[in-house]
Amino acid sequence: MREMLQHTPGKVFLLVLLGSIVGMLAAILSGVMERTVLVLGFITMPLLAGILFVLIWLVAYLVYFFKFWPFR
Amino acid sequence: MAILSLVLFGLVIVAMAAYGYKISARTAEDYMLGGRTIGVVVMFFFVLFAVSSSWTFYGFPGMLYLHGPGYVFFIWGSVAGFAALYMFIGPRMWAVSRLNGFLSPVEVLSERYESKALRIILSLSILAFIVPYVGIQPLGVGVGFEALTGISAIWGALYTAILLVLIVLLGGMRIVAWVNIFLGIVYVSALLGSLVWVVSALLPEGLTGAAQYLLKNNPAQLSAPGPRGMFTPVLMAGTFIVGLIAFSWPHIAIGVMTARDKTLFKWFPLLIFLFGGLFFYVIPFLWGSIVAPAVKPGITTVAEADRIVQTIITEHLPPWFSIFVVMGVVAAAVSTAAVQLMTSGVIVARDIVQGVFKPDADDRTITSWARYSVVIIIVLSMAVSVWQTQAMALYLTDVSIPGFAQWAPALVGGLFWKRGTKQGAIAGTLAGVIYLALGLVFTVGGKRVLLLNLHPVMPTLLLNTIIYIVVSKLTPPPSESIQEQFFEEVDAFLRAEGSR
Repeated sequence: MREMLQHTPGKVFLLVLLGSIVGMLAAILSGVMERTVLVLGFITMPLLAGILFVLIWLVAYLVYFFKFWPFR
Repeated sequence: MAILSLVLFGLVIVAMAAYGYKISARTAEDYMLGGRTIGVVVMFFFVLFAVSSSWTFYGFPGMLYLHGPGYVFFIWGSVAGFAALYMFIGPRMWAVSRLNGFLSPVEVLSERYESKALRIILSLSILAFIVPYVGIQPLGVGVGFEALTGISAIWGALYTAILLVLIVLLGGMRIVAWVNIFLGIVYVSALLGSLVWVVSALLPEGLTGAAQYLLKNNPAQLSAPGPRGMFTPVLMAGTFIVGLIAFSWPHIAIGVMTARDKTLFKWFPLLIFLFGGLFFYVIPFLWGSIVAPAVKPGITTVAEADRIVQTIITEHLPPWFSIFVVMGVVAAAVSTAAVQLMTSGVIVARDIVQGVFKPDADDRTITSWARYSVVIIIVLSMAVSVWQTQAMALYLTDVSIPGFAQWAPALVGGLFWKRGTKQGAIAGTLAGVIYLALGLVFTVGGKRVLLLNLHPVMPTLLLNTIIYIVVSKLTPPPSESIQEQFFEEVDAFLRAEGSR
């Protein structure tokens, strides 16, 4: 993490991850998980929120670790 | 038939461990860290199935069955927490331990903070919270064993405990990792196979039909706060944060020290996100939140909910598949508890026996101590678990995880913050552990008033962190040589080409 804070892509990467955590907490606290919504007929809101959260981390990781990580 | 199959399954595992004993080098590094030769694929099985225990098969679906999907935020937090361990902490922990020959994460921190007292405090606190967690695994198998055969759960627990002791005594960390590949394959096959089979056999309209059935008959099952109103937004947010602290689980953290080279840290998160987050953990989620409530509604007790998956399989699928599923649960339990036992053994032998009492002990002596301690730990852990019975899921999230979290400030600060001092680490850790213990013990009307009725990890970790930072700021910084050893040398090593 020290190496990430020493260059702009690293800072952006950490901000994206932090933003996704804050976004997830905001979504939870907003009460949106209390809606009975079924995406594709069986995906509940907590499952959908988690899939989106993991996808954000996955994309951020792929871009940063394979293109910018100083120790790659 | 069931018992014979389980005996044969156990013999296969023991044979693998015995083979590992035959081929392993007799060094402490080989026994405790697999000779630091674990590559990406083996590491993946090693870690994923060290994390995924009988809790994933029974406790997690049981919790979802009773309380709806809100508990899944623990999983989303954990996926991020494990990825963070390998993206942020892992490379530095691996590099510093490889450069200096450290064999345990506690040793890393005791050397970083130049404190034998911290070594004892961390060792004892980690052991205190890992012991009940180890005991959950054999008991988890016992639950499935009882649902399958009707024989008392204690026999399933004993069977698992004996397997565990044999694997760890014979094999060491390398074989625990390799056995986890076999166990993981059995585990995934059982978990996924049972879901697919039950859905195709009992739910003609598939998952969508099951969800529509629940929407009509029990809509509270499909959203927070769940059928009993448990998962309020505040509790879900807390559950998510508790998951994020997964990077501090000691039996997972030690895994980074076994890595063969730094490229592992580049590739490993990919497997965590793709296989762990988007596939593996979705299976028990679907089991507990949709399939089980649609197939067998009406369960109201925690014990019955904990074994709901096994009950449905036993009632509706052929007997041979039920046996296979119990093997999957045995695999899940053994793959987790074996790593926990290895970690405990390493801490006892390297950090307590050699670190405090016998500094001159040779490899043979500390390896023997690691093995002896495993037997004691498994007996202790099962005794604690039998004595203090509560729902599997709550045991994990309410007792073990808050305990594991108490070394997190010293761990993160020690690797990333040059200004972190031994006084800060000792004061913070002690304050967090004592506060947690008092908070769990003293209750008024069933409420943990000292913990402000929050999740145990929240106030204790906050206090721990604040004290660590404040005391570190108020005390002299670590020596130049320590800063060089733990920061500059590590950076240079990680930046170097081919730093194996």
